[in-house]
Amino acid sequence: MPLQLSLPQQSFLPEEEKLLIERAQKDPRFFAPLYERYHDAIFRYVYRRVDEEEQAYDITSSVFVKALQALHKYEYRGLPFSAWLFRIAKSELYQSFRDQKAQRTVSIDKVVLKQVIEEWTEDYTEQDKARLLVALKELKDQQLQLIEMRFFEKRSFKEIGEICGLSENNAKVKTFRAVLKLKQFFHQKE
Amino acid sequence: MLKIILDRKEPSLEEVRQHQNFDEILAAFTYQQKVNNPWRYWYYPLLPVCLLLLA
Repeated sequence: MPLQLSLPQQSFLPEEEKLLIERAQKDPRFFAPLYERYHDAIFRYVYRRVDEEEQAYDITSSVFVKALQALHKYEYRGLPFSAWLFRIAKSELYQSFRDQKAQRTVSIDKVVLKQVIEEWTEDYTEQDKARLLVALKELKDQQLQLIEMRFFEKRSFKEIGEICGLSENNAKVKTFRAVLKLKQFFHQKE
Repeated sequence: MLKIILDRKEPSLEEVRQHQNFDEILAAFTYQQKVNNPWRYWYYPLLPVCLLLLA
């Protein structure tokens, strides 16, 4: 099972985080507590989407370097700081897919895969598993991202919305549509 | 082409921390700042000019 995909509930208070960001905007050395707080979550987000560990480390490094470079432009607009970092991570990931430095990968735990299939069919078979894997490959990338975050990484709709730049409700609706599409592809393969 | 990996082993928190730390990130950022600074090409040529002017 994944170690820590979503951020733990215990976090900086918004005011505390705001102060840390302001200090880091003046002097990048003060970014250290923010790095310590979010590095693992960002690394795991990247790691599950690329096929090689070294690439995950490289991309994670560039996420934090880019974050430091853009920190002076960061303004608090009600979204948590983590959402801003995840968006940088997402953009860095897709840049490496475009540059063909990394391969788009989906990491799934078999237990989770089984849970998804059991919701749709009465019995879980190896054939169903293979069908679901094929169906996943037929989804559009945005649909795949939503399914990935909601079901394989167990993120809340709020968090999905923050990462994807959607409202919580919109994230819910879009994920629901993605699930319908996946179900449709899954049953087509019968 | 999408690749799907089942039951992938994830590195532990300690492994990740050993592999990367903030000092490396800060060093990379500082280097980038230096490289991206357009004035860096003027520092050395300007030094003798300033000395000449002072003289």
